[in-house]
Amino acid sequence: MSVSDLKERHAVATETVNNLRDRLRQRRLQLLDTDVARYSAAQGRTPVSFGATDLVCCRTLQGHTGKVYSLDWTSERNRIVSASQDGRLIVWNALTSQKTHAIKLPCAWVMTCAFSPNGQSVACGGLDSVCSIFSLSSTADKDGTVPVSRMLSGHKGYVSCCQYVPNEDAHLITSSGDQTCILWDVTTGLKTSVFGGEFQSGHTADVLSVSISGSNPNSFISGSCDSTARLWDSRAASRAVRTFHGHEGDVNTVKFFPDGNRFGTGSDDGTCRLYDIRTGHQLQVYQPHGDGENVPVTSIAFSVSGRLLFAGYASNNTCYVWDTLLGEVVLDLGLQQDSHKNRISCLGLSADGSALCTGSWDSNLKIWAFGGHRRVI
Amino acid sequence: MSAPSGGGGGGGGAGHGGGEVSSSALAPSSLPPPRPKSPPEYPDLYGKRREAARVQMLEREIGFLEGEIKFVEGVQPASRCCKEVSDFVVANSDPMIPAQRKSRRSCRFWKWLCGPCLSLVSFCCCCQSKCSCHLKKPKCCSCTSCSCIGSKCCDGSCCSSICCCPRPSCSCFRGCCCSCPDLSCCIPKCFRSCSCARPSCLSKKKSSCCSCNCKIRWSSCFRCPKVRLCSCCFCNCKNLCSNPCCLAF
Repeated sequence: MSVSDLKERHAVATETVNNLRDRLRQRRLQLLDTDVARYSAAQGRTPVSFGATDLVCCRTLQGHTGKVYSLDWTSERNRIVSASQDGRLIVWNALTSQKTHAIKLPCAWVMTCAFSPNGQSVACGGLDSVCSIFSLSSTADKDGTVPVSRMLSGHKGYVSCCQYVPNEDAHLITSSGDQTCILWDVTTGLKTSVFGGEFQSGHTADVLSVSISGSNPNSFISGSCDSTARLWDSRAASRAVRTFHGHEGDVNTVKFFPDGNRFGTGSDDGTCRLYDIRTGHQLQVYQPHGDGENVPVTSIAFSVSGRLLFAGYASNNTCYVWDTLLGEVVLDLGLQQDSHKNRISCLGLSADGSALCTGSWDSNLKIWAFGGHRRVI
Repeated sequence: MSAPSGGGGGGGGAGHGGGEVSSSALAPSSLPPPRPKSPPEYPDLYGKRREAARVQMLEREIGFLEGEIKFVEGVQPASRCCKEVSDFVVANSDPMIPAQRKSRRSCRFWKWLCGPCLSLVSFCCCCQSKCSCHLKKPKCCSCTSCSCIGSKCCDGSCCSSICCCPRPSCSCFRGCCCSCPDLSCCIPKCFRSCSCARPSCLSKKKSSCCSCNCKIRWSSCFRCPKVRLCSCCFCNCKNLCSNPCCLAF
């Protein structure tokens, strides 16, 4: 077949793809008979209401000397690992605020960090395109340098996000600026599967975030600069199970909903959205009111019941707490006493859901929890 | 005199038998100028294969989309999913959500951490069983004359007839609370807060308020992350990716 024949086929196929996508979008719109907010309002759900002292900053973790980009809680014992522009990972005891480890990284441009399920290792990645694993039982030298116990090399672009597979210390998933996600075997340092890429059906731009389902660790979601989120089955890497459209800008962050059948996203278009993984429906859009340009969402987390969605924005120290059922902002952590002084870049909930940790460009981490009892007069 | 034919039997002397090239019977001007052969046209196999691969990907995508359309035909409407979400949320308790006001259970083991927050000397304003506590006595704490949004008691130290500003150093700007030291930076997004940014930064045009510090140069070539347009930021990935600060760094 000649090149000109191929080009003609290419044009025809492109038009067919566009027509089919349009048909799919129309059909999905017909199935969107309501959204979560309208449904819940019709059910008469009581709005969540926060008093001034209900959610307070209980701890400020100081020690980084640069912007905090990423944080992760252990699955137990309430430790936090954070990654910063200062080129260090710090492991904190969240209860005492003490630092248990301060690891100087070989590459200062770190973008993500994660705790292993057993809490004995931390992983990080960034502009060096490598995911590095550090054992917390290794001894640091006087500079705080801990030897890398494993380097996961293979991405052709920066590592934007990493997460261990729940309950599997030997496997983790990374997302990358090379448009792929990779499932790694940490014990061998080798790739198990590559999701997406040049000749596979996958993201068509940088992948910025991953979230693995807690209830089904074979499923994970990725969010990308191509404005979509994709659901993957780690056992079948050839193509995404489903692609979720709707956002009008980069999808910066994705997080599974606690029931494992839904997930949330945060985007440059200023909205957070809730999607259903089994049907592909977009169930809710969380869009702040007001005029002016949309402020990108940097990070999200759900409370354990899913009733609250915490969302950090790339503006000031805004961190909205959304009532996910009624689609309204119920609190702005940026307006609370002792709030961050700069953008909130990352956040995460403790394993038992009692505390939220936020990381900020002001170089601090803060822990938020209930203000205790309140006397009613 | 006929022009020599190409290839084998050329008339005249050129390349013929013993090569009496110097035959004076043939004047040089009657010979055609030498014409070197053009290089053969090799087919652009690489480009053709790439094009074929792209077509194959599109045709595969067509298959996926047709499968997805068929799948969607049998999918339940969104209302059923919304019900599942609502039922799940309501069925699960949440330590982050205020329970009953009167009998508050301890917030698991974080309670002991947060208890001291309220043991500080503080002033409480209460209005119809809602209380808020402040480190400083707020100017406008008055349950009967509180004019703040949502009829809540003022929870900060600044109050005007238009709004309650929760930050000590804030001011009311166009009906919104703005925490910017420079009022000209306030953008009146009046939903409980203002964003503090000059409009030109948000519109991604060159702006003096972008503050990228490009002193650090990294010696290996990165593929730079998504770029934020900013007057002093650039990514040059020839040999030096000199400014990772392009990505929100």
